[in-house]
Amino acid sequence: MLNDTVKKELERIVGRGNASFEKEDLICYSYDATNTLYAPDAVVFPRTAEEVSLIVKMANSEGFPVIPRGAGTGFTGGSVPVVGGVVVSLERMKDVIEIDAENLTAVVEPGVVLWEFQQELEKFSLFYPPDPTSLKFSTIGGNIAECAGGPRAVKYGVTRDYVLGLEVVLPTGEIINTGTRTIKGVVGYDLTRLIIGSEGTLGVVTRATLRLLPMPESTRTLLALFPEIKDAARAVSSIIKARIIPSTLELMDSTSVKCASEHAEVGLPKEGSVLLIEVDGNAASVEKEAGEIENICRDSGASVVHRATDKKEVKNLWKARRAVSAALFRARPNKINEDVVVPRSEVPALIGGIEEIGRELNLLIACFGHAGDGNIHVNVMYDRKDEREARAAEEAVRRVFELTLKLNGTISGEHGVGTTKAAYIGMELSPNAIDAMKRIKNALDPKGVMNPGKIFPVIEKDERTEATK
Amino acid sequence: MKEPKLLSELKAETEKCVRCGTCRSICPTFRVIGRETASARGKLSLIRAYREGEIGLTENYLRHIKECTLCGGCRDACPSGVDTVEVFQAARADAVAREGLPFAASFVLKNMLDYTTLSARALKFVTRFKGLVFKDSATEHGLLSRFSLPLIGNNRLVPELADTFFLDLPEVKRLAANPGTGRAGGAGAERAGKKTARVAFYAGCGVNFLMPNVGVASIKAVQKTDSEVVVPPGQVCCGMPAFYMGDVETARALAFKNLEAFEAVEADYIATSCATCSHGLKNVFRKLLSSEDPALEKRVDAFCSRVRDITELLAGELRFEGGGKGRDRQVVTYHDPCHLNRNQGIRSQPRELLKGTADLEFREMKFPCSCCGLGGGLSLFNYDLSMEIAERKAESIRATGADVVATACPGCIVQLRDALHRYGVRAKVAHVVELL
Repeated sequence: MLNDTVKKELERIVGRGNASFEKEDLICYSYDATNTLYAPDAVVFPRTAEEVSLIVKMANSEGFPVIPRGAGTGFTGGSVPVVGGVVVSLERMKDVIEIDAENLTAVVEPGVVLWEFQQELEKFSLFYPPDPTSLKFSTIGGNIAECAGGPRAVKYGVTRDYVLGLEVVLPTGEIINTGTRTIKGVVGYDLTRLIIGSEGTLGVVTRATLRLLPMPESTRTLLALFPEIKDAARAVSSIIKARIIPSTLELMDSTSVKCASEHAEVGLPKEGSVLLIEVDGNAASVEKEAGEIENICRDSGASVVHRATDKKEVKNLWKARRAVSAALFRARPNKINEDVVVPRSEVPALIGGIEEIGRELNLLIACFGHAGDGNIHVNVMYDRKDEREARAAEEAVRRVFELTLKLNGTISGEHGVGTTKAAYIGMELSPNAIDAMKRIKNALDPKGVMNPGKIFPVIEKDERTEATK
Repeated sequence: MKEPKLLSELKAETEKCVRCGTCRSICPTFRVIGRETASARGKLSLIRAYREGEIGLTENYLRHIKECTLCGGCRDACPSGVDTVEVFQAARADAVAREGLPFAASFVLKNMLDYTTLSARALKFVTRFKGLVFKDSATEHGLLSRFSLPLIGNNRLVPELADTFFLDLPEVKRLAANPGTGRAGGAGAERAGKKTARVAFYAGCGVNFLMPNVGVASIKAVQKTDSEVVVPPGQVCCGMPAFYMGDVETARALAFKNLEAFEAVEADYIATSCATCSHGLKNVFRKLLSSEDPALEKRVDAFCSRVRDITELLAGELRFEGGGKGRDRQVVTYHDPCHLNRNQGIRSQPRELLKGTADLEFREMKFPCSCCGLGGGLSLFNYDLSMEIAERKAESIRATGADVVATACPGCIVQLRDALHRYGVRAKVAHVVELL
């Protein structure tokens, strides 16, 4: 709890109306897309790095946690104030400060919504590839904190590949600049990469310098329907094996397809598994690659391969694809959403293994996602009120992680660890590796004020579930 | 048919929200306010907290649930399929039921009785209407609350009250045919390969009090297709303004009156040039007049299934064929009223009508479907916010370079005129039917 002096001081820093201690506001800043609720003690809306710095310095002197927050759309609880404290919402810091078309860079504030930034870039025929499913509402600050990926990662990589430099308020309140405005730069440690994906535990990003690409000349979108999921998985491996790198290569299994088509009548089939594939580049090569992909899909067992004919159709297909995660709740009331990654050649083995886990535990497990880079969103569907299902779901997650690691994969490709995966990081990381990370954390944040309770398994899992609504 | 649900019956609907945040990408109110409390996800969280007794009917809670145009954008975008409009609607009705006057007053009366901020022009208007504010007169209640007329801020463009109301125009009165008489065509009659139809015209408050010319243009367009028009005399406000503010009883009483008035004229279609009215008559009536009595159910179904928006009827069943009027060529763009687009799926019809008119050049604006900011009583409750929402719309219109922006809802027309005036955009605003 914050005393009145602290409250007054917070209000003084950000200005009247930009700090709230009202219950209604606290309720609305108590969650993210994990749908767990922990109310903060205050929410503040700073406008500048200096204001953030003052808040963080105060957190150190007064001993309250600081929880940086973008749009609150993460899937692992990264912006949820699990131990209370002050939510620092960056929603007001939303300017695109500069688009440098000559050097292909841009400077943005953290609260810029990704899609709006990409719309801006379109005017210059420029391209910022990261495209998490939440791109229409998530912020670039949040993308950086979680190292967001997305469908285009198969060809273009993830957020970390497009961040050249950052302005960061450290957990002790100092404002530093990391990185460069240039492609190259090796002066000192790579603090930029340390901050990216650190889930707000090592500082608050207050400004970012991003790397841009020219907009690809042309894009082709294909939809391939497979009666058997394993054939779809095999097609993914075959496309990569044929040395074709599509700009997206998305998989939706039959459950995902069914739920998404219930959400929106957009021309998705009602049955079977789907690959949504895009190739981009110059017009001639795009045509050629689309043709090759079509053949590979048919050879792998696709019953239908369809090329989208107009922009509207493409838009609708993506709308359906983006809706899958939330639309799955039509199948069961609760889900555990994991985003494991395996080497691409192992996608068929992963999909097959998950099917088996679902069968053995008698659970519905939906798989969809960025098959092209091996990143599969595994959604274990269950009903929290059904004790058997709830227990089986926990077990399924453990088995999926074991399988993933056995296939030389990682337990999270783009969602981060947050609170939901903290208990599992020991499965992937050695005690020494975790210890090295903790030493970095302690060195930068000696008082532990910055987004506590994330990444490292400090809170017992049972307690957490208890508090979860 | 189901009655409007109470908030207590919408627990499951409210809890379908998984807080993914998709609603943040589409909400016009959130876009302006920029805080979670303005998003549908936030509102649903507050409604849930209220339901569970975590918060009461606090001033903040009431303010947040009113900061919404009920445009339905979030409902359409929601991957979990939460009927947000129904939940928000029920939350408002719940507040009215519990708070009674104070809540309604914060919407209507408090602002309306504040004469001190009124300009001379508005004062003239209010003088004319003063009595009505106090009377339990549902029609005027609809007009005042929907268009928030006497509420004057600086630089606000107020719609003028028509000298003669639509329903009082002599040429309209002549169309107030007696039931079953003077019937020109009837459903089965064919003329020159076209079906001629008997169309009953429903004016609504906007057309009746403010824009009789829209009504007259609608009638002329229908007559041009060789169909017969009747204007039933006993019609009253559609009740949607009352419904949206949570006053379900008033809305229901009005629905009954309209049902009876239109049954009397035995028309093939019931047409209106107001998007809100057509949504109300076509869809909401089914809820408002839901009943255990099969005879009544049948009457309601017969009524609702005949309702058409004027653009829907002209482009559809009546196969209206436009043609230039020898005017100068004008560039026209189109604003989608939420109640037409989101609630009735009517998007292509008004565009077809405009494109089929020889002297119009159609240019699509950016974000044609984003809400103008008027709806859900927002203009009345928070005029500044409503105008801030309209700013993006005004800028989209400016960017098209259009001479005229067409739409199909008197509410949107009032709002767009005010917004274009405020943001210095020169385009005129007209109903689609006025341009045909």
